[in-house]
Amino acid sequence: MKKASIDCRGKTTREINVQIRDFIADHATEIEILSPAARHNLGVATIEPVKMVFDGSVGYFCGGMIDGPEILVRGSAGWGLGETMMGGTIVVEGNAGNGAGAAIRNGTVVVRGHAAARAGISMKGGLLMIGGSVGYMSGFMMQKGTLIVCGDAAEGLADSMYLGTVYIGGKFESLGHDTEVSEPTDEDWKFLRENLSRFELPCDRPFRKIVAGRRLWNFDKKDFDIWKAVL
Amino acid sequence: MCGIVGFFDKTGSGNAPIGKIMLRMLEALCRRGPDSAGVALYGPATNDALVLNVKVGEHGDFREKGLQLAEKIRHFARVHQASVLGEYLRLRLEWDQGVRQLQKQIEALSEGVEVVSLGKQLEIIKQVGSPDALNHTYGIDSFVGHHALGHTRMSTESKVDLSHSQPFWAHGIADLASVHNGHITNYHKLRRQYEQRDIRFYTENDSEIIGVFLADQMEHGMDLKDALKASLRTFDGSYSYLAASANTLAYAKDRFAYKPLVIGETDEFVALATEEVAIRAAFPNETISTREAPANYSHTWSVPQEVAVNY
Repeated sequence: MKKASIDCRGKTTREINVQIRDFIADHATEIEILSPAARHNLGVATIEPVKMVFDGSVGYFCGGMIDGPEILVRGSAGWGLGETMMGGTIVVEGNAGNGAGAAIRNGTVVVRGHAAARAGISMKGGLLMIGGSVGYMSGFMMQKGTLIVCGDAAEGLADSMYLGTVYIGGKFESLGHDTEVSEPTDEDWKFLRENLSRFELPCDRPFRKIVAGRRLWNFDKKDFDIWKAVL
Repeated sequence: MCGIVGFFDKTGSGNAPIGKIMLRMLEALCRRGPDSAGVALYGPATNDALVLNVKVGEHGDFREKGLQLAEKIRHFARVHQASVLGEYLRLRLEWDQGVRQLQKQIEALSEGVEVVSLGKQLEIIKQVGSPDALNHTYGIDSFVGHHALGHTRMSTESKVDLSHSQPFWAHGIADLASVHNGHITNYHKLRRQYEQRDIRFYTENDSEIIGVFLADQMEHGMDLKDALKASLRTFDGSYSYLAASANTLAYAKDRFAYKPLVIGETDEFVALATEEVAIRAAFPNETISTREAPANYSHTWSVPQEVAVNY
């Protein structure tokens, strides 16, 4: 194991990201990034299985487009955490801004605190787990993958989802259009326990399972009301 | 795209370095708004006197124009102090009638004259250019006080000049100011309603409607807290905005959470900013936990009444 460290003070974001690449080229396996001071675009598009530890808050799009790394944020994250990531793991110890895990294709994103509006919007796979609560329109138009929320959700949870699964441990203010709520099966509980305990997130919540009602897949005149509301 | 920032000292000491804090926060957000920069600073109360910052015109010798204007104002108000700094005439004066009356009388004196801020504690300073240039002209980094708002502007719909810059004073109510990031899409409809009631608009900037709306609600008996809640029901479009009065700092965010706003709070203070990077730049050595403001939500922080009186 080869460790490396970067102090962000006095450096531009480009210089920091270039230095991360240089360390990876030099076979570093763990890079600690000090004083990130909520800069945007940190560690984006990294495709090597390296561990990156951000010692503080990160700004927008941290870990966006990554494929393979393991990212730990000892602070909060701004908008678009891990946006369109292809694989790897991101763990945020604090809270996350809007669009956490937006359009991820694979991999795991964990937010130990709360996530703001549109968490897991348009997910195309992977796993997004929120230890706290999520904001307005979380899971909006998700297409695949799993969103687990241990706390509560604001309005419009999982609105217009195509496929995929949302598990919610707390209350939701309102459900989005074309969703179906059910009790998790034994297999679902096994999946929940396995993944939540892997990151020491609470498994003891009365989780409910939300999937697509599939009425928006094809237009049907008898579903006109729901179409009118959605469009 | 704009950057908005706010700071509020919860201890009520009244001597927080708000000028420096605003500058650091605005500099961190300057890429979000290269057109203009401005601050609304709330200092200690000035006994019974009002402080006014008056824009004296678009061009020419601001100093000469300003001093001439001050002479005319002395005819109807007891002016304690008049000085010209940058593009502003700053006045400290006594006035025992309505705020709107004073504003109208001053603005009637000469074309291009606009009362940019008025209050016992509020001073708005704004200009075209960067936060750094703002400090160079007005030396705001030495300002201490209780709370403050700041704004960096990237204009999308209306022109770039001093009047269109933010913060906006809510004309008609002393010490009430706002900064806005976003686009209020029913602005024209609301503006028409107010203009039919003979309320003057100073700019073509949709953000101006926030102050007009809040002032109108408060003149009809609402407190700032309820006026903010009413604004969530009235304004369409995207907005995160901050508002402040003599003893309160507040925010409101639209129902779709279209615009960012990060809250950093400790036992001593609260710092609000479009991006967290501004909070980290102003308080680099503090471990402040941050969170994104929720959708369709407003919140206020106020000084306990007894503290506000004993400044």
